[in-house]
Amino acid sequence: MPKVWILRGVKKGILTSGFPKAKPTAEEIPQTSAPPTATDRSDWAEGERLCPTGAIKDGRATERAVDLGRCVYCRRCTGAGFEFAGPEVRGTAALQASVKSGLEARRRGFRRSLHILMIDVGSCNACNLEVLNLSNPYYDLTRLGIFFTNSPKHADALVVVGALNAAMVDALKRTYESMPGPKFVISVGACAISGGVFQKTEGFVSPVGDAVPVDVVIPGCPPTPIQVLEGLLLAMGRLEKRPAAREVASQP
Amino acid sequence: MISEGLQFVMLAGVLLAYALGILSGPFSKRAAYSLGVVGSFIGVVLSLSVLLGGEAATFSLWQLTPASSAEVAISQFNSYFLLISSLVWLGTCLYSVRYDDDYPGGLSSLLLLTILSMVVILVSGDAVTFLIGWESMTIASFFMILEGRGSREGVRNAAFLFLAFGEASTVFIMLAFAGLFSSVGSFDFLGPSPIGAVGSIGSWVFVAALVGFGLKMGVAPFHMSEWLPIAHSSAPSNASALLSATLTLMGVFGLLDVVSYLAVYQLWWGWLALIIGGVSALLGALFASVSEHSKGLPAYSTIENNGLIILAVGAYMLASYYGLTLLADFAVIAALYHAFSHSTAKASLFLINGWMSKLKSSFDLNNPGKVSPMRSRAAVFAGAFTVLSLAAAPPLAGWVSEWMILEVLFQSFRYGDLTSQIVGTLVGAVTALAAGIIIVAMTKVYGFGVLWSVDRKSQAGAKDEDRGGRFIEGSLLYFAALVIGVGVGAPAIFFLASTASVQILHESVYSLFVTGLLGIPAGFVILSGSPFGGFSPTFTAVFMLALLAVPLAISRLGGPWRLRRAQGWFAGMAQPTSSADLYDSFGFSTPIRIMLRFLFRTKENVVKVGMVTRTVILSPEEYVVELEVLDVFKRFYDLLAKWTLALSSWVSRKAMPGKLSLYIVYIMVAFVFVLLYILYTVG
Amino acid sequence: MIPKFVEMRRVDEASGPIQLSTIFRVGGDTLALLTDTQNNRTLLSEVPQRLGEEIGLLLKGEEASPGAPIDLDTGSKVEGFGVFTFGYGPVTSGVPEAGGFKLVTYGERVVKVIPQVNFKKRGVERAVVGSKPDDALLLVERSAGNFSASYSTCFVTAVEDALGLEAPSQARWTRAAAVELERIYNHLYVFGRLSEAASQNVATAQTNALRESVLRLNAKHFGHRYLFGLNRVGGVRPDLSKDGRKALLESIRSITREFAELVDYFLTSRIFLDRLQGTAKLAKNDALSLGAVGPCARGSGVEWDDRLTYPIEPYQDIFVNIETDRGEDTMARTMVRLREIQTSAVVLSELLDKMPSDGAAARQSSESGKDRGKFSFCRTESPSGDLIHVVQLDDQGRVSRLHVRPASLVNWLPFARSLEGNVFTDFQFAFESYGLSFADSDR
Repeated sequence: MPKVWILRGVKKGILTSGFPKAKPTAEEIPQTSAPPTATDRSDWAEGERLCPTGAIKDGRATERAVDLGRCVYCRRCTGAGFEFAGPEVRGTAALQASVKSGLEARRRGFRRSLHILMIDVGSCNACNLEVLNLSNPYYDLTRLGIFFTNSPKHADALVVVGALNAAMVDALKRTYESMPGPKFVISVGACAISGGVFQKTEGFVSPVGDAVPVDVVIPGCPPTPIQVLEGLLLAMGRLEKRPAAREVASQP
Repeated sequence: MISEGLQFVMLAGVLLAYALGILSGPFSKRAAYSLGVVGSFIGVVLSLSVLLGGEAATFSLWQLTPASSAEVAISQFNSYFLLISSLVWLGTCLYSVRYDDDYPGGLSSLLLLTILSMVVILVSGDAVTFLIGWESMTIASFFMILEGRGSREGVRNAAFLFLAFGEASTVFIMLAFAGLFSSVGSFDFLGPSPIGAVGSIGSWVFVAALVGFGLKMGVAPFHMSEWLPIAHSSAPSNASALLSATLTLMGVFGLLDVVSYLAVYQLWWGWLALIIGGVSALLGALFASVSEHSKGLPAYSTIENNGLIILAVGAYMLASYYGLTLLADFAVIAALYHAFSHSTAKASLFLINGWMSKLKSSFDLNNPGKVSPMRSRAAVFAGAFTVLSLAAAPPLAGWVSEWMILEVLFQSFRYGDLTSQIVGTLVGAVTALAAGIIIVAMTKVYGFGVLWSVDRKSQAGAKDEDRGGRFIEGSLLYFAALVIGVGVGAPAIFFLASTASVQILHESVYSLFVTGLLGIPAGFVILSGSPFGGFSPTFTAVFMLALLAVPLAISRLGGPWRLRRAQGWFAGMAQPTSSADLYDSFGFSTPIRIMLRFLFRTKENVVKVGMVTRTVILSPEEYVVELEVLDVFKRFYDLLAKWTLALSSWVSRKAMPGKLSLYIVYIMVAFVFVLLYILYTVG
Repeated sequence: MIPKFVEMRRVDEASGPIQLSTIFRVGGDTLALLTDTQNNRTLLSEVPQRLGEEIGLLLKGEEASPGAPIDLDTGSKVEGFGVFTFGYGPVTSGVPEAGGFKLVTYGERVVKVIPQVNFKKRGVERAVVGSKPDDALLLVERSAGNFSASYSTCFVTAVEDALGLEAPSQARWTRAAAVELERIYNHLYVFGRLSEAASQNVATAQTNALRESVLRLNAKHFGHRYLFGLNRVGGVRPDLSKDGRKALLESIRSITREFAELVDYFLTSRIFLDRLQGTAKLAKNDALSLGAVGPCARGSGVEWDDRLTYPIEPYQDIFVNIETDRGEDTMARTMVRLREIQTSAVVLSELLDKMPSDGAAARQSSESGKDRGKFSFCRTESPSGDLIHVVQLDDQGRVSRLHVRPASLVNWLPFARSLEGNVFTDFQFAFESYGLSFADSDR
């Protein structure tokens, strides 16, 4: 069939996303990846009761927050009046850590070239696959200068997925130890940031941030590849985005 | 300028020192080896002074035939070899002062006797003295090997094999000399004086010399003579160093000497030498890369290097045949240079391996031992340079000579006939392949033999810093310096080699090849033909140092370094505690064993019996304890040995049974034959 | 309560065509679920007296606590010169999940394989005890993200069985459609990994692009790329409209058609075929005695597919062709998966064309007085094989016991057995062709 590949390719067109030059499309960030936003009608107490992972915290007006690091997008809080704005309003949910962790200084060389090592510390595989999906033609992360490596000794950034399991704590620490500086750590997915739905299970130890210093978190369950990509680009310093204070996640 | 008299006085001094050392061996090993050091030192001084300004001279000893006498000759050609050998002996004797404390005293005498015989070979001016030295060297080495540790049976077999091959080589050399004698009419053709043409008997002389010296050098198909005695006799490493480095050097010396007397070369001689050299190089490299024995591996590497020298000699003959004088000159220099670089590096490797094996108490490369960093630091340091030199890494000695030999082969397109061009090119490809494969072997022997065995946590050796360790470390450092010097100081060695080769080439070729180019001052660039290729080892070394030093300096500008030590990466698992979890030397080479199973006749037997799986990766004659890879040629030699024994037992039973009547019949038959012959020639 | 395609029978010996599928405790009894591969029956019995020796490992993996890795070691020793253990540990790129292998070798040749599992044991089975089934679903569907639809369908079917609840047909058909979509994208993933291992860059890129389009279809029609949130007790969440179904069907047809054409082209590469053929052979006897399930068993000629032999609605009305292959090697397993993609497309077209429209969820849970003490179970064909959930509910309808027997758990030993005697470079192909997932096996 594909006797002439070039013609076939021309006919098929360009699959690769225009991100980051273009905004992400609705297909790339489906509506279902939009996190909950509080409206005036939201019942925070009910929301806190309904949320299975403790992402909605009730309190005084200034203390109420939706912890995106815990949200697994199950939509149970619809019953408490929370809404899900489309992705074009907020872009993505990737967040940037505060300067005190020194990320600005450490990431200076990586604007155009970043080598990442992905480590799974106890995931369900969905975040795993989403990060690996970045190398398919739709996203093609090598065009942005990001490459997967096999060994921590070659890696600049550690991408951690999964709810940290007791059996993987040592391996995670050794991996972080083996990486030469400057380096930084990116947590992908609710499980890595806070434990997600596995917070109360036996195997879960702690958020990844308690074992190694995490610089950037990418919430989601799982985050779509574009959201992961946005997080990576933010970490590299190529996108400047500071979300509103209300939606800041708990300490990464 | 040094007078003849002084030369001979120094030579006498050398011989005397060694002789005294031999005599004092049974009483005090330290004295013996110290005398050996003295003798080697005088030898170095003597040979250098001859090369740099002396003249060839001979000294008659006694009358052999009306036309010839036994002579001692000192020429620039044999001084070159004396220089190489003395440098090696100096280091070896220094090493031995404290090394073989647990071997009997007779060993030191035998070692020095071997050295003395080699000196006799080098300075002999006639065939008889040469053969005396040759035999004495063989027999002394035979007894030296017999002193080795290991199973009684293995040691005896190894020694006997060595002796058999050694005597065979003597026979062939005698044939070659007989041929030369019949052309020249006298025995003293080994001196510096020119001799007449050799005539039609030249082919026989060449083949006999090639076989005879090839047996000693251990090239294919006689390479068993090289690896078996060394690997299986477990003789101490100073003896192995001597056998591998300098014994084979005698073969090179003899071959070059004989070749220089055959004025006109035939085409097939060059092809024969090229092919033998190429095959030896490849086989040696391959077998080295799958050897698990810390002495067997360097022995195979010797086979490879001697193969390289022989093919350089073959290229010389081919180039002379076609009248390509520049190429021929370069080939001779390449052969001489390679002899230098190989001897020094190989001796060094044996001594290093010997020291590490002694500390580990095992010759097995898979045995991690647990040697303290203090005791092994000299081995680690010197080993790096030695191994890199043998693997032909710049700017060391092996790199220079390997480059030269490959350049010679690259120019095979200059030969007049298509066949020669093809042979030269194919051999060149095979040589390049061998050069690549030997890197595997060198990585193995240094990585597993030396580095793997160093146990950082071990504290032993802190108090053992007695003078014994100092001698050994000193000698290893001496060799490292030598290896670096021969590489970086290539123009100087080139000068020495070209002085030595005047006897062969009848002109000094130094100025043809050593010039200045592209801004590098004269005297530092070595060309391989004009125009073809060129390089400058000295300036390569300078450049490499600068390449290293400049970034280091720049990085220091940013403040002192922040160093952090991290552990090795084992895919997230903890560091393995036992060697059963580490990739060992056997596993390192098994991909080669499996991929080239047609060559090694590898058979993998994995047998599952109940709950136990037994794995044996076999070659039919695998020695499980010492684990040598099958050498297919060994089957041929085993067969030959079997036939010889069968023949000898038949002769002793049937032909010489002790019956007087049968002997009288033999006497009568011989009598009749002699009568007939006399009648025929007279009549 | 026991469906009609399950037999209560006393079985004394589990070997050969009678495979032990799982053992679970309920109340004071220990029961065994067995599979009769010859007659295509599921059997329920007490634990047989005689079990194969490898069952011990199965139980070890099932009942281990989280926190430390476990070696699935049959206990045999390997002796010989130069034999060492090569640890292919939990953090490598060849194995993207947290899980390791110990390869006993003398260099290049694999003599024995010891999988190291339990790195990812989160303890889902124990964590759901005491929660309502709808809440338990959150954990169950995230046990193995790429088998989410199979897991949640299996669980919710068992729960509905225990409650005596009948989800409407539309819901069940929607579930089946989701499971088939999941099968398609997982098989595409496996093929993409195989071609990546063989450095077939064009094949990898094209396959991954097609898989991405399936994931986008999932998001568009079912609300999540990995089909999370698909199920709830009594029905499903996504209500597929007629136009939606038509669009979905069209898209899937074009994707699978394009893939079929491309695969014919990709499999002309001699290098690729050489890597696949003859690698990691699993003899049919071994597959049966070790209890292999899924495409790896079907690649060795074992004819077992839950869709046909344990047909919950709608598979009773829809014919699914079991794809088997007698080749026993990696090529056979790959061909089985490739054909299953096409079969799934055919099944999807039936499901989507003929889906009934009686609502996505039951209006009210009709709880007839059920005998809550007993258990209920369900088996579905996840992309890696037969998945079993055994559920027990208490009086309030909360989960009091959950037992999961994932497909990957039983496939470790067949994988280890088939890899023996191969060289290191074949490891990647063998591993990918089995479709093993540590998340699945550890839960």
